[in-house]
Amino acid sequence: MAEEKKLFRVTIDNVQVDVEPGTTILMAARKIGAGVTPPAMCFYSKLKGSGGKCRTCLVEVAAGSTADPRPMPKLVASCRTTVMDGMVVKNYSSERVMEARAGVVEFLLLNHPLDCPICDQAGECHLQDLSYEHGKAGTRYEFRRRTFTPEDIGPYIQLHMTRCILCYRCTYVADQLTDNRVHGILDRGDHAEISTYISKAIDNDFSGNMIDVCPVGALTDRTFRFKNRVWFTKPVDAHRDCPTCCGKVTMWNRGDEVLRVTARKDPWGEVQSYDGQPGWICNTCRFDKKKLGDWVVEGPTKISRHSVISANHYIAAKKPRETISDVMGGRKPKLLMDIHSISDVNDPSVDLSKISGPPTGDTYDENHQE
Amino acid sequence: MGRKLLLDKAHVENIRLYDVYRREGGYRSVEKALKKSPGEIVEEVKKSGLRGRGGAGFPTGLKWSFLAKPEGVARYLVVNADESEPGTFKDRYLMEFIPHLLIEGMIVSSFALGSNSSYIYIRGEYAWIVDILEQAITEAKNNGWLGKNILGSGFDCEIYVQRGAGAYICGEETALLESLEGKRGNPRIKPPFPAVKGLWDSPTVVNNVETIAAIVPIINEGGDEYAKIGVGKSTGTKLISACGNLNKPGIFEIDMTISVEEFIYSDEYCGGITKGKRLKACIPGGSSVPILPANLLLKTAKGDTRMMNYESLSDGGFATGSMMGSGGFIVLDEDQCVVKHTYTLARFYRHESCGQCSPCREGTGWMEKILLNIDKGKGKMSDIDLLWDIQRKIEGNTICPLGDAAAWPVAAAIRHFRDEFEWHVLNPDECTKRNYGLAHYAEPLKMAVPA
Repeated sequence: MAEEKKLFRVTIDNVQVDVEPGTTILMAARKIGAGVTPPAMCFYSKLKGSGGKCRTCLVEVAAGSTADPRPMPKLVASCRTTVMDGMVVKNYSSERVMEARAGVVEFLLLNHPLDCPICDQAGECHLQDLSYEHGKAGTRYEFRRRTFTPEDIGPYIQLHMTRCILCYRCTYVADQLTDNRVHGILDRGDHAEISTYISKAIDNDFSGNMIDVCPVGALTDRTFRFKNRVWFTKPVDAHRDCPTCCGKVTMWNRGDEVLRVTARKDPWGEVQSYDGQPGWICNTCRFDKKKLGDWVVEGPTKISRHSVISANHYIAAKKPRETISDVMGGRKPKLLMDIHSISDVNDPSVDLSKISGPPTGDTYDENHQE
Repeated sequence: MGRKLLLDKAHVENIRLYDVYRREGGYRSVEKALKKSPGEIVEEVKKSGLRGRGGAGFPTGLKWSFLAKPEGVARYLVVNADESEPGTFKDRYLMEFIPHLLIEGMIVSSFALGSNSSYIYIRGEYAWIVDILEQAITEAKNNGWLGKNILGSGFDCEIYVQRGAGAYICGEETALLESLEGKRGNPRIKPPFPAVKGLWDSPTVVNNVETIAAIVPIINEGGDEYAKIGVGKSTGTKLISACGNLNKPGIFEIDMTISVEEFIYSDEYCGGITKGKRLKACIPGGSSVPILPANLLLKTAKGDTRMMNYESLSDGGFATGSMMGSGGFIVLDEDQCVVKHTYTLARFYRHESCGQCSPCREGTGWMEKILLNIDKGKGKMSDIDLLWDIQRKIEGNTICPLGDAAAWPVAAAIRHFRDEFEWHVLNPDECTKRNYGLAHYAEPLKMAVPA
């Protein structure tokens, strides 16, 4: 008994979980599951010192601990607040939290260009996910959005400062993974920007991981730029013997073509850990090994993160029950009009799998001769 | 005439120099303090009821007793001289005219806290004061008040002056520590608090210049004697830097027993409003505290006379009160425009936001743009509600109090001066040519009659 570690019991949105002392509320919530986990834009569990900045993970602490059950007066950043025994946290069940979070999303999108249609990050962008979940359809901002002069930060990484939400993750990567940080935050306030020291190129071996940690499309892979949309590519787990890194990657292929190589991601969009070590990958693996022959393919990647790329990858999805006959007391619905009797488009007699290329108007045209 | 503890010798010729300062009774407190134990000094400060003079008003003795004291880890005292709040300039006066008072207070405080190297983090714009302080430090050192084994007590202490680079945010204690360590001045996420992990991860106390200076009379007179000055929990004297439309703007030392009305109108203090104009509004404690219209400033919502002390100024909460803050007393006469004034403050906070957390970074800029529109007569009625909503979403949701400081002035301006904002929206041409004027802001408050 004495050797057993005392665990702290936390209640998040009425779900109880036992975690080790020193765990943050966010990590405790992740232990429970996605249903109660607050979103995190700047926090990255594998980067020391990250978090606390974006304020999307604000939660309400309804009771501080068993010993001191007073509620905390302010909303707290769950990524940097450690749990106490008997703490009661309200996340999705608190109106205050939802309102504050909607506010934060609005602030984050205020100066964001919303150029998703031409952004390489679209489909795996955390800001996209966040705004779908917590944002509003319109904006109340009526002023010119802030822009920056584009800057070249080297051959591999493309910087789009206008899309940046200043999460500071990439500076932590440079501090903790590479020998020398040559980029950082210049200026302050809403004109602060990520930039390199006198336009120096970022060319460290592990600098490519900045692309993986960037929650938005501010840092993207130049070798993948405008090649394809992520949801058209097929993610495949692969590995190779790499002398500098773990060599375990996700390849994003179209046919036999390797379009992009990234580190493997866990359900929270972070780099996966192997035996407690984060699986960062080196620039050689990421940018130079773009042939199928370079890699040993393990199999298709299971994407567990909620995002556009997880479409059609639902695991154990349940088919919804047909209820229309129940509602109608067993009667069949009455067909008012058969659309195919007045229109040739989408004619069910045309088998789309038998035609070459995408269907056009000609496909359904009976008079059309091949 | 109230008692003066800090500035009573400020007008002695050459008080800036060591010899004169010593002749006037300077450094007595160090002699007295070094004979006591550090714990006794902390007790003395606790008894005095001294509250932090930087703005938050946290009891200093309590703050000192929170300092973690692990074995073999250095502890630090850092004096916050990054006085950048618009309207506040009391520390500048203290440091410029009686620098030895600060040095003396620092030696005593360092001894009480066990700090062998103490720092003064001074605002970058106060370039000439750095020289004054350094000269004072050299003089004190030459006379054996600093260095090794001070007065044979075995206590070593060095004081260093560090200049900031001109950022308001570095007045926030954790941002100040980051800047002092040579990093980007971004506030840290608390906890851990500086009392546990501060400068170079060591326990640190950060105090305002005036707080440290007030330690000297506390030790000289004793904590109990000090606590007798003032009322309630507002003990001792407070420096007020008065500015705006006043006949006699400047630094005043008050003992917190006078009323706001007396402070503004009596000849001993501000001497009334310039050109005999009428009072419209006032910010009693530096730009970030809520602005109050004249009627609420002179009397609380309950009908009591508002006094110049911590409790009375914050009476009524933010709905009908304000805060003592850092003592930057800004007075607006009937010709001033509250909208323009609020815009000026919003512009300041936008410029000084560090850009770390999103609500403050994006929200301050947004508020500034909307306020500029309203000021220029291009505003819409919905903008006022929008402003209210933005400030509500900034306040309390940021790492450091800058977000709150940016939100409060806007909130208070809309709360008390909404009709002026509406007038700006409804009269787009007129509002660029003339001001709204005094309106009803000085009229007596409607008192609720008890049933």
